[in-house]
Amino acid sequence: MIKIFLLIFYFLLSFQANANEAMKPIANLEDLKNKKIGVMLGSTHDAFAHKQYPEAEILQYKSPADVLLGVKSGKVDVGIYNSVSLTEILKLNPDLGVIDKPFEFSPVGFGFNKKDIELHAQFNAFFKAIKESGVYADMIERWTKKGITDMPKIDTPNKNGLLVAGHISDGGLPFVTLRNNENIGLNIELAKRFAAYLGKDIRFDDMEFGALIPSLNTGKIDFIAVTLMFTEERKQKINFGEPYYEIGMSAFALKKNIAAFKQEKKNNSNTPTFIEELVNNFQNNLIQEKRYLLLWDGLKTTIIISILATIFGTFLGGIVCFLRMSKNRFLNIPAKVYISILRGTPVLVILMIIFYVVFASVNINPIIVATIAFGMNCGAYAAEIFRSGIEGIEKGQMEAGIAMGFNKIKTFIYIILPQTIRRILPIYKGEIITLVKMTSIVGYIAVQDLTKASDIIRSRTFDAFFPLILIAILYFLISLILIQTLDYLEKITDPKYKRKVRTKS
Amino acid sequence: MIKVENLSKKYGDLVVLKNISTEIKKGEVVSIIGPSGTGKSTFLRCLNLLDQPSGGSIFIDGENILDKRIDVSKIRQKMNMVFQSFNLFSHLSVLENLTLGPIKLKGISKEAAENKSMDLLRLVGLAEKAENYPDELSGGQKQRVAIARCLAMEPEIILFDEPTSALDPTMVSEVLSVIRRLAKEGMTMAIVTHEMAFARDVSNRVFYMDQGLIYEEGSPKQIFDAPKKERTKVFINRIRNFVSKIKTQDFDFYALNGEIEGFCEKQLISKLIRANLLRVVEELLILYKPYLNKIELELEIAHSEKTNQLSLICQTKGKKFNPLDNKDLEDDIGIKIIHKFTEVVEFKWADNQNRLELLFVN
Repeated sequence: MIKIFLLIFYFLLSFQANANEAMKPIANLEDLKNKKIGVMLGSTHDAFAHKQYPEAEILQYKSPADVLLGVKSGKVDVGIYNSVSLTEILKLNPDLGVIDKPFEFSPVGFGFNKKDIELHAQFNAFFKAIKESGVYADMIERWTKKGITDMPKIDTPNKNGLLVAGHISDGGLPFVTLRNNENIGLNIELAKRFAAYLGKDIRFDDMEFGALIPSLNTGKIDFIAVTLMFTEERKQKINFGEPYYEIGMSAFALKKNIAAFKQEKKNNSNTPTFIEELVNNFQNNLIQEKRYLLLWDGLKTTIIISILATIFGTFLGGIVCFLRMSKNRFLNIPAKVYISILRGTPVLVILMIIFYVVFASVNINPIIVATIAFGMNCGAYAAEIFRSGIEGIEKGQMEAGIAMGFNKIKTFIYIILPQTIRRILPIYKGEIITLVKMTSIVGYIAVQDLTKASDIIRSRTFDAFFPLILIAILYFLISLILIQTLDYLEKITDPKYKRKVRTKS
Repeated sequence: MIKVENLSKKYGDLVVLKNISTEIKKGEVVSIIGPSGTGKSTFLRCLNLLDQPSGGSIFIDGENILDKRIDVSKIRQKMNMVFQSFNLFSHLSVLENLTLGPIKLKGISKEAAENKSMDLLRLVGLAEKAENYPDELSGGQKQRVAIARCLAMEPEIILFDEPTSALDPTMVSEVLSVIRRLAKEGMTMAIVTHEMAFARDVSNRVFYMDQGLIYEEGSPKQIFDAPKKERTKVFINRIRNFVSKIKTQDFDFYALNGEIEGFCEKQLISKLIRANLLRVVEELLILYKPYLNKIELELEIAHSEKTNQLSLICQTKGKKFNPLDNKDLEDDIGIKIIHKFTEVVEFKWADNQNRLELLFVN
């Protein structure tokens, strides 16, 4: 057994080594044409890479941090990202370097719904105002030239309602980043000032880049507070606000793969010990910028969604099971259809359909959407579990109750149900644990759960190992506590356990 | 107390009960006998509407329970049922099985219900099992608990649906004696049973059911000693038999022994006679064994429930061959044993068929 593991391990190692060996140093942008390129899905970099390098293998990632990690871990040879943020990012990552010079400069601005002409006009008026008053020049000065990263105080009087901005929290300074569990950056300041100008409160929904424009057009968000590059394609779908900056793209890679850095000598004379590194990681990933708060909030969200979905799912499962077992065809056929559809579609797809299609034009808390989606999925499975439990009980039990003088409902409550619960608990336990783990995908609809929290930390620290292992442990602990609780429930519903307690006391 | 008029029950095209009309009076014990599949259980289950009758009317204390306006649950509380498969509530202790109905349906306090239930458990001899759970009891104990559970509801009539059919033969009598005791105390009962001797001495009236109707009814004496109608006669005097064909020398002797024992237990044949029967079978098989590769032996054990007569018949085909008359044997101990345990030994050879019949001492 151990030999097999070693063999696999060795194989993986040699595989990685091969991949590195095949790499020839990159001298200029021309060399990108047959490399693996990492980009953010739906970004202008993505479009550019596809147009410019048709022969290259292009991997589309969901967030800037993933692109960066892809490059760092050797999954891709080169990444492309906006040149301004990249300068900041590279300061924190000395092993990465930029290839050649920035290219494809383009103005950037916020995005507005084509139907919402009023908000678009208001933004342009607002922008004109701050340009004239010098506030805009001051902002650019502070964020991009001086590198001052403190947010100024902006009063947002909540008089005229709420403005919802879609953004990506890990875009990178000077535009946006998350510090001390708070969004900061040029984009954030601009958006907040805009909200204050309108006299509205503002909420930032953290999304994946690819989800921004669909969310805007389905009304999930009021505008996009991201450095959107102006492109013809996008202009057909959204209105751009006045451009507030101009940025280009840069390609970056590991320094050891770039010809220009090849000569640079490595000075890794004092590699940190394992313990030092662990302490370092702990500091970086949890303590700095109070990142544990992110995890704590994520944990709460995960638990809330799990509990609500379990309750809703159990309740729904009971109803569906009742319909499914009915002899009336008008009741049992819809139940059958419901069960087979919900069991036959990925819960992620259901989640997105409910969020983007069913509640498209309703401003609904995504946690409720998640509860509904997971509850519906859980309900379909629960219904079948309940049914098999009930059908597994001999007919004689029901008959004995009826013959004694109980009506059907009372027979069910006093005789069938207690036996069913005992029977299904072991299977049901597994179903609930599956549900908890399933909630890790709610990040797709901009809910910050445990997984999303780790994604955010990952995007700040560029460390994949520690945050992932940490949340793996946290999920495991949740499941463990849940299993213990349900085991206890299983024990106390065992009639013989009751007797044991009785005889002891 | 119960009056049935033109009761019928159909499952699709299959007619199970045909226009049954009868009456059960208070304090009567009625046994319902007859061949399998003639609607005995269905008749009983129609009485408390576990099976919905297709036609006719059932009056309980003058109320037609097939009337839609009647609360059937209330009526059922007056007439509880004991099932073939016991149907004890497996999630409840013995005591809770008894108290569930009185507490939830009659609103009796928990304490009062428990006291009453303990008395009933004492009555059926199971007070010490009060805290046990159904899966910890033997079949006979389960059925006695089921009877006590019925009594806890203080019914006016108890319907017994083959109460001993699912029991090991050794446990039948403990259940029957509890039912006997109830009969003595004047409980009104309707009992579907295959235990003829029991039906005969416990009941005031016997229904013989055949082909979906009450074919003949009368006192136990009338039905068992002097049945008037043809099919009743056949049923009452019928002989139960066990047949086994032995084709090779290497037959499974122990399986055969087990089957014979099972048959004897079912027929309530005494231990002594059973032992005698087994010994005779063994000796006979030793005598037949050398020839078993050439001939096929058909072994039949027949028992008449009415006369309690037990006989063993051995048949082989071919030329005349009587194993008890074999001159080639080394000794005749086997033959002596056979003669000792049997009363009459008859051998016939006709149409190339050997037939050896042994009648056992009763």
